[in-house]
Amino acid sequence: MNRRAFLASLGTAALASQVPLRAQEGPAAASGRITLLHTNDTHSRIEPFGPGNGAISGLGGVSRRATLVRQLRQQLGSVLLLDAGDTFQGTPYFNRYKGRLDYQLMRMMGYDAGTLGNHDFDNGVGMLVEAMEAMEQLQHANAPFAFLNCNFDCKGAPALQKRVRPYLVKDFPGVRVGLTGIGVAFAGLVAPKNHEGITWRDPYESLRPVVKRLREVEKVDLVVVLSHLGYNLNGTGPDDLHLPGQVAGIDAVIGGHSHTFLETPTRVPQAQGETLVFQVGFGGVNLGRMDFAVARGQVRAASGAAMPVLA
Amino acid sequence: MFKPSCALLCALLTLSLAAQAPLGKAQVLPLGSTIPDDPAIQKVIDPLAAEIKASFDLPLVQAPQGLLRGRRGEENLLGYWVADVMRTAAQGTVGKPVRFGITNAGGLRSNLRPGLLKVADIFEMMPFENELVVVELTGAEVIQVVKEGIVRRGGEPCSGVKARVDGSPEQPVFVLTWEDGSAIDPAETVRVATTDYLYGGGDSIPTLRKGRKPFTTGITLRQMLLDQCAALAKAKQELLPPAPGRYTLPVPILEAIRDKKLKL
Repeated sequence: MNRRAFLASLGTAALASQVPLRAQEGPAAASGRITLLHTNDTHSRIEPFGPGNGAISGLGGVSRRATLVRQLRQQLGSVLLLDAGDTFQGTPYFNRYKGRLDYQLMRMMGYDAGTLGNHDFDNGVGMLVEAMEAMEQLQHANAPFAFLNCNFDCKGAPALQKRVRPYLVKDFPGVRVGLTGIGVAFAGLVAPKNHEGITWRDPYESLRPVVKRLREVEKVDLVVVLSHLGYNLNGTGPDDLHLPGQVAGIDAVIGGHSHTFLETPTRVPQAQGETLVFQVGFGGVNLGRMDFAVARGQVRAASGAAMPVLA
Repeated sequence: MFKPSCALLCALLTLSLAAQAPLGKAQVLPLGSTIPDDPAIQKVIDPLAAEIKASFDLPLVQAPQGLLRGRRGEENLLGYWVADVMRTAAQGTVGKPVRFGITNAGGLRSNLRPGLLKVADIFEMMPFENELVVVELTGAEVIQVVKEGIVRRGGEPCSGVKARVDGSPEQPVFVLTWEDGSAIDPAETVRVATTDYLYGGGDSIPTLRKGRKPFTTGITLRQMLLDQCAALAKAKQELLPPAPGRYTLPVPILEAIRDKKLKL
């Protein structure tokens, strides 16, 4: 598909997706829609994958991702750009810029929130905080993005603690979204000296009160979890697939860690409704997209035409 | 005023916590070349990319003899160096002795030719993002790992162990010791440096998958090798190949391996 066709398809998709569910303006709006765009395990892949990388050769690249996100934002309006962790480690860009570049580019792209993966601790807590600071200090129109996690006890690392929040609420016309994050256990993945002052807690137990608060106190319409647990550990540990069965009230799990390429989200039934569990590979090869619509406080099916973006 | 019973309250709370019906549209958007670059982002990346690219031409260290993988039947001295660097790095990371290191010959994509090595040479030799993993195995499992490597490829590059195959192809006798010639205690638990690829089952060394207490260091093999070259240059030393002698395989045994007739 050439660029003109690509842009044309964007316009058509946006028209089809916005008209039927057009949100009412103002805080008292009874309905609205939200699009979640997401990445995971980008691993410092600033440039597209070069030749010799099999099926992912030529794919990815921060610059293209920025274009796609900007166009979708212009067309759709209510968009959240999210990441499920492991931004660091994998290319010379990380070795040279220590993650500062990755986080600064994420801010330039307009990320709203991300969580922390095990590799984000590869240079220790101090360097992680330095990268966060570099992102905060960037002179840019976009606000700094939030780091979300509810199962790392960061009391022993105050500089990180003040930058990582357990949850975030974002309001859009007709939709109030609650976001939180969870991280994988450090054991066997992160050297003790690199997570000094941070204690890992059980993600299911940590999530329950946060989701309850988001539902009952913050009164959100949609609960989204950014997870770096991995898609399916076959019962050997907490994972994304088993999360909805353990913690009620989650609408979407945006996963990472296992580098799982899913074509569509896995729908995990719950006692009431279901949870969508999604993950889109690694290295920024793909951007995930999930659309939700809320009508009179209930999450409903979103309409919208498929938007092909062919390589 | 209506006061809901405790049971009803619980039921209401449960209902409010339950996920709704989030039947949304969802899709994967591949980021292909049809999507134009964002000018503002690209303006940031371009000079940094040029800087990264220039760094590929940076000189690393003199390697007057080069480090070669060896032809079939020859020892893989390049692999021995990689395994040595892995073992040393693993010890530094976990802060405890690491008795054995093993990587896979298939992961070393080119020789390091004699002369001045550049960063690009290490990237060409090790293009993968494989990471160093430290696991625990028993001595018996270390012996089995080495045997599996011999049967499959005539011995995968290793560090810390010497192996010899006596006897005939039909009745091979594997003689394995630690590098100093001491016996390997089958019951002893030792730390082993390997890669996430091999530990994950790559290249058919199944016993490696039995590794216990895996510790993923987050350090890529390539970065380790780059760091080692830089350290040598800083110390004004040359990169020299390790001594041969880790695998001693007579020709009939090598021929049996080539013909896939050597069995454990």
